[in-house]
Amino acid sequence: MIELFYESGTLVATGASSGLPEPFVWDGRTRQWRAPAGAYREVVLKLRESGAPHADRAASFEKVSLESRLAMEPRPYQREALAAWGREGLRGVVVLPTGAGKTAVAVSAMERTGRSTLVVVPTLALLKQWYSVLSNAFGGSVTVGLLGGGYHEITPVTVTTYDSAYIHAERYGDRFAFVVYDEVHHLPAPKNAIIPKMLLAPYSLGLTATPERPDGGHESLPELAGPVVYRRSPEDLAGTYLAPFELVRMPIELTAQERFDYAQAEAVYRDFLEKHRLPMRSPEDWQRFIMVASTSHSGGREALLAARRRREIREGAMRKGVTLEALLRQHWEDRCIVFTKSVEEVYALSRRFLIPGITYETPAKERKEILDRFREGRYRAIIASDVLNEGVDVPDANVAIILAGSASQREYVQRLGRILRPKHDKQAVLYELVTAATGEEAASRRRRESFRKAPA
Amino acid sequence: MLRGEHVMARLARGRLVPHRLSPEDGRVVEVAGELCGVYAAHRQAPRAGLEARLAALEEELGPRLDARRGFKIVRALAKLLEESATWEAPTEADPYTIRTRVFELAAALPEPPAGEPGLLEAPTREDVLGRVASEIGFGDVADLMYADRQGAQLLAGFEGPSPEALIERYNVAQVQGVLYAARELVVDLDRGADARLVFHYVKKMALIYRLEPTPRGYRLYLDGPLSIFGGTRKYGLRLAKFLPGLLLTSPWRLSANVEWKGRDALLDLDSEKNDLKSHYLGPKDAQEGDDVRGAFVRAWERAKDTGGWELGFGAGVLTFPELKTALVPDFTLTNAAGEEVHLEILGFWSERNLVERVALLREARARGHRVLVAASGKLGASREALSEAVAGGVIPFKERLAAKDVLAALDGERSLAEAGA
Repeated sequence: MIELFYESGTLVATGASSGLPEPFVWDGRTRQWRAPAGAYREVVLKLRESGAPHADRAASFEKVSLESRLAMEPRPYQREALAAWGREGLRGVVVLPTGAGKTAVAVSAMERTGRSTLVVVPTLALLKQWYSVLSNAFGGSVTVGLLGGGYHEITPVTVTTYDSAYIHAERYGDRFAFVVYDEVHHLPAPKNAIIPKMLLAPYSLGLTATPERPDGGHESLPELAGPVVYRRSPEDLAGTYLAPFELVRMPIELTAQERFDYAQAEAVYRDFLEKHRLPMRSPEDWQRFIMVASTSHSGGREALLAARRRREIREGAMRKGVTLEALLRQHWEDRCIVFTKSVEEVYALSRRFLIPGITYETPAKERKEILDRFREGRYRAIIASDVLNEGVDVPDANVAIILAGSASQREYVQRLGRILRPKHDKQAVLYELVTAATGEEAASRRRRESFRKAPA
Repeated sequence: MLRGEHVMARLARGRLVPHRLSPEDGRVVEVAGELCGVYAAHRQAPRAGLEARLAALEEELGPRLDARRGFKIVRALAKLLEESATWEAPTEADPYTIRTRVFELAAALPEPPAGEPGLLEAPTREDVLGRVASEIGFGDVADLMYADRQGAQLLAGFEGPSPEALIERYNVAQVQGVLYAARELVVDLDRGADARLVFHYVKKMALIYRLEPTPRGYRLYLDGPLSIFGGTRKYGLRLAKFLPGLLLTSPWRLSANVEWKGRDALLDLDSEKNDLKSHYLGPKDAQEGDDVRGAFVRAWERAKDTGGWELGFGAGVLTFPELKTALVPDFTLTNAAGEEVHLEILGFWSERNLVERVALLREARARGHRVLVAASGKLGASREALSEAVAGGVIPFKERLAAKDVLAALDGERSLAEAGA
């Protein structure tokens, strides 16, 4: 009789009377038949089909009673997505725009499989966000576990990061029947692509707004997480499900001292660009500048420091703080989120305005508490660094203030998605505070142009 | 261990040369000494201040070492020092409770707390902070709000290395850094090297080995379970952690296949041609083991009758691929009839060691090897574990292993071997 065992991210078969077919290979190092753990589904289906006597000692999946306590009104496209995923054998990728409720699709999929589930996410911020959502949904019947960011608690419903899964999946890959890959476009990265190989999980769900990768890596997605089973663009959902909003751009003038310091830093930086004939039109140009400057013998380090200083002045402009205070006052009765790039700025502003701050440092439980209280209206405003970037779930926020944006179009659109959650009779407002006469203006213009191309 | 961003190596005709600092270079020792000093001087001071000072030192000290990459070297040295530091919370107050109370009070106000008192007598920021201060009995509420952030921690202890030891750590750490990107490690162990020690670290790092005999000893191929499905860098970190273990013995040569910045490269290292020093202490049993083995050799030499058996040093490595381990006997006993029995003496052991040894004995006998294992009852963990092991064929001894105990076991072993055959 063939017996299957799970061993450090691989599937080992013993007791075969003859050679085993692909995906097994003979491992001469340990004298065993071995396959990647990810081949489990294929192997078991083949064995069942052939009627060969076998015993599965590999999987230690758990049946868990997963009944969501969250009242999530399933929108028609979410139901369709789930059905399409079911038809493909509970394996595949769902593509929905940010703000369309991808998390809800995952929660329903977990209810449907009713098996131990591993959720893999790209950032610590998302780790905490999923912890919060899954605790709300399933907290009554299971404890949600965390792996990564200093947490190491494995339960039948565990959230982890791609980085932690890369290191630890081989220890726990036999415990989960279902794996959810959030922002699944991260999965084809060379390092991450080994994660599915280490997991037995026969069921998988990938979620993303944009599966395409510039390196063409999306072509391996069907193998890693399953084929795209359902896809809707922002255009498909605009109007009905994504709320319209008003965009208000507020130019911030530098003070005289700031202007002086800025001009100095700017001169050093521009000199270096000119000397090395470096253009500065795209994020790739910026990467090239960093590379040239950090390997240059003369003036490279100074140019890097000047570039940083320039950015600091721009982002920390004094008048920004005062304007922010006025906006908070104006919207004290609203639900307001302030975004900034810098973690230190979050803590400084949190101390100054006595409103809760959220950064990647914020512990998972506290983060959940802050967002819950914000949702309930006990907190009027919160301030967050980049952590609320990709797909955070902050319902009922109707005012957002961006203090320092970067030129990434994708980031911008996703941030907008956050406050575009449907809400009755409520016009959402997005303020963007941009320092005048600096590069930030251009970045802002660029983003709005790309945004106008997409229907509001 | 360094982070990837600290690792520096030069690629010369397909071979990697990890960055190295010379312990003979006065400037290098001075910089290392200054960094150790900065750490030592920051005891009981906040982490953020120490980090700011170290960042400033990157600019000050870096150029003294290398005009271009000096700052990176300083950063890497500081990273290694951080491993010797312990941190503690700066206050007994609970910052989480404090800030939560502050936020609640502020959010309950009809308008945002004003920065300064005004004519309208609107509630101010100071009102909120003052109220929380009186509730909890701590003063600087605004400071305490986030006193649980990493930067606020105080340096509680620092058992720093000497400047010279820091430089040694750095040189090993750079080689380890290159190994992070290794797919496979090939080690040529000469017969004089301590194979048992090497296998101790192979097992500890959960690596998979393949062994081939060579004219001078053994060639060891090291990687991990998934490696047979195509080379992966996944086990690079473990190979890096294995290195200081290997550095505890010699002679050997190693060669690693490394994926370096998208290209294939090789790292070569020869134990006789480098001055790398391990900071590992070695397995616990090394010293005790040496003592009991030495004592046994003397006991054997004094013994009147050895039943025709000759005692020789261990005759090589017995591999057990399925158990992912190997047995490296201390001695091999031979007699005129051409019989050969291996003997391993365990000085210090844990219960797990012993259970593994019993499994290994069973496996060795099943394969026709004749093996004896002796374990000290004095140094071991529990009497029960030892008696179970004895039932499984382990020879117990108290202070010293006596020749007669081994001879008695040889008789017993022979009958076992014959029964098996």
